[in-house]
Amino acid sequence: MDLVLIFISAAIVNNFVLSYFLGICPFLGVSNKLDKALSMGAATTFVLVLSAAVTWLINNLLLIPNNLPFLQYVSFIIVIASLVQFVEMFMRKFTPPLYRSLGIYLPLITTNCAILGLALLSALRNYNFSQSVVFGLAAGVGFTLALCIMAGIREELDLAPIPEPFKGAPITLIVAGLLALAFMGFAGLISG
Amino acid sequence: MIVVLTVIGLVSGGVLAIVYQWAEPKIAANQVRETDAAVFKVVPGTKSYNTVAKDGLTYFECLDESGGKLGTAILCQGNGYQGVIKLIVGVNADFSKFTGMSILEQLETPGLGAKISEAVFQAQFNNLASRPPIEYVKGVAPSKPNEIQAITGATISSRSVVNIINKTIEEWLRVK
Amino acid sequence: MKKGLMFEFLKGLWDESPTFRQLLGMCPTLAVTTSIINGFSMGIATSFVLLCSSVIVSLLRSVIPKEVRIAAYVVIIAAFVTVADLYLKANFAGISKALGPFVPLIVVNCIILGRAEAFASKNGIVPAFVDGLGMGLGFTIALTVIGAIREVLGSGMLGEPWVIMILPSGAFITLGLLIALMNVIKDKTRARPAPACPLACPGCSPGGVS
Repeated sequence: MDLVLIFISAAIVNNFVLSYFLGICPFLGVSNKLDKALSMGAATTFVLVLSAAVTWLINNLLLIPNNLPFLQYVSFIIVIASLVQFVEMFMRKFTPPLYRSLGIYLPLITTNCAILGLALLSALRNYNFSQSVVFGLAAGVGFTLALCIMAGIREELDLAPIPEPFKGAPITLIVAGLLALAFMGFAGLISG
Repeated sequence: MIVVLTVIGLVSGGVLAIVYQWAEPKIAANQVRETDAAVFKVVPGTKSYNTVAKDGLTYFECLDESGGKLGTAILCQGNGYQGVIKLIVGVNADFSKFTGMSILEQLETPGLGAKISEAVFQAQFNNLASRPPIEYVKGVAPSKPNEIQAITGATISSRSVVNIINKTIEEWLRVK
Repeated sequence: MKKGLMFEFLKGLWDESPTFRQLLGMCPTLAVTTSIINGFSMGIATSFVLLCSSVIVSLLRSVIPKEVRIAAYVVIIAAFVTVADLYLKANFAGISKALGPFVPLIVVNCIILGRAEAFASKNGIVPAFVDGLGMGLGFTIALTVIGAIREVLGSGMLGEPWVIMILPSGAFITLGLLIALMNVIKDKTRARPAPACPLACPGCSPGGVS
């Protein structure tokens, strides 16, 4: 039950992108086409789940028992960078079309604050292993959700007469603002 | 290649260890100061306290300057409207009344639920009867000694606070 | 040479503003600008990390092998972020709490990695320092301005409080409007989100944000 709560909370009520502002850079950059959004979301979710697991292991089996909490940021980011590298190699070998379609956005997942943010939040809230992994999965789902909704809207928006200064980032941000407002409607879902 | 990375890693690690040595006592002192402030606020007159952590509950037995038992400050947390609410509540020595309440962390709606952090709302818990379990009323002034008035437009946040406190008190009475 | 340095410094403040033109570092920009002091503190913390890591990266640029440069940069950046974080926790506990997890998230702030890859690794220490200074200052100014707008309008210093300003929505909308404004001022040319990846891994078309 507790895991379900974590899932709903991270995916919808406290959506990583729209509530916590994690993952904004790819959100602005990749959300203009639905298929790109979906593949980016999937790849990010994959990395999120893996990094949730590995960073939990490193934090709880290595850093905390040896009283080295100050090495958290350095070790987490190394884990994340390596995971992304590994995912890249995996995709290049086993799913080349997906790899090509994501292009330069794949290595960009390393700097996606959602990944590091998730590892840190998980450590901060003292989640156990399964809570961490579910949290990662939920964050990924929420991220993908936000990205796809945004892509759907932007594909329509492309056909609208937007004033020149607003094209691109400004209109995306304003739409995101409205989306964030809409998502606030989910707030009472998990109240005590 | 590996050599360079290893050297960078080791040097960084070393520098961080040194900075951590310097920072750690200060950070610990800050945390003690924070806990002190919270405890002294909800159990006025406390001069020192013993920290007890039992069965998932953390509470502080507050003593006055002669070591006499003044009351207890209990850490509570639970779900609010938009996130987790963490608060600390003080009860007097015979557990009949609350001596104060302070919201430590909350993510409620600014301007509405967030008002639970305001002094006006928290002051309602001074001298509030703790038995029977506390209740809230909307739109009218409280008529019973164990009632508080919910914040207008923030019923759920107010209700969450009441529920969190009641639940934690029940647990604490069993555990202590 | 002096003209060159001045240019390196000034570009971060306006022409190549990391926030309003390059659209880097969006996450902290939206998250911590709920007040002037928060925006300003985040700007300062980020500038500190940017300056230190730019200088170190520039210092070691001939020593770090190309294949592992991203890993090396990232370790260096993470180390300085840890220093900044510990310092804040020790001496400015209130601000540390307000900024929360976004202090450690400076590690993945694209501005820092971007400048390291695009500039510091290809220039001497003094230009790298000056570039970092300009970018950091530009970022700090942007955050402080956004924080000011959100705080003043959101707390009702000028009439009725616009609570939405403090909420995530307000952050998105304020930033969107400001970028549009920047676009208008800069001859209506649009700022594009930087798809240019600072990582520029072999096999990709070279990125780099500059």
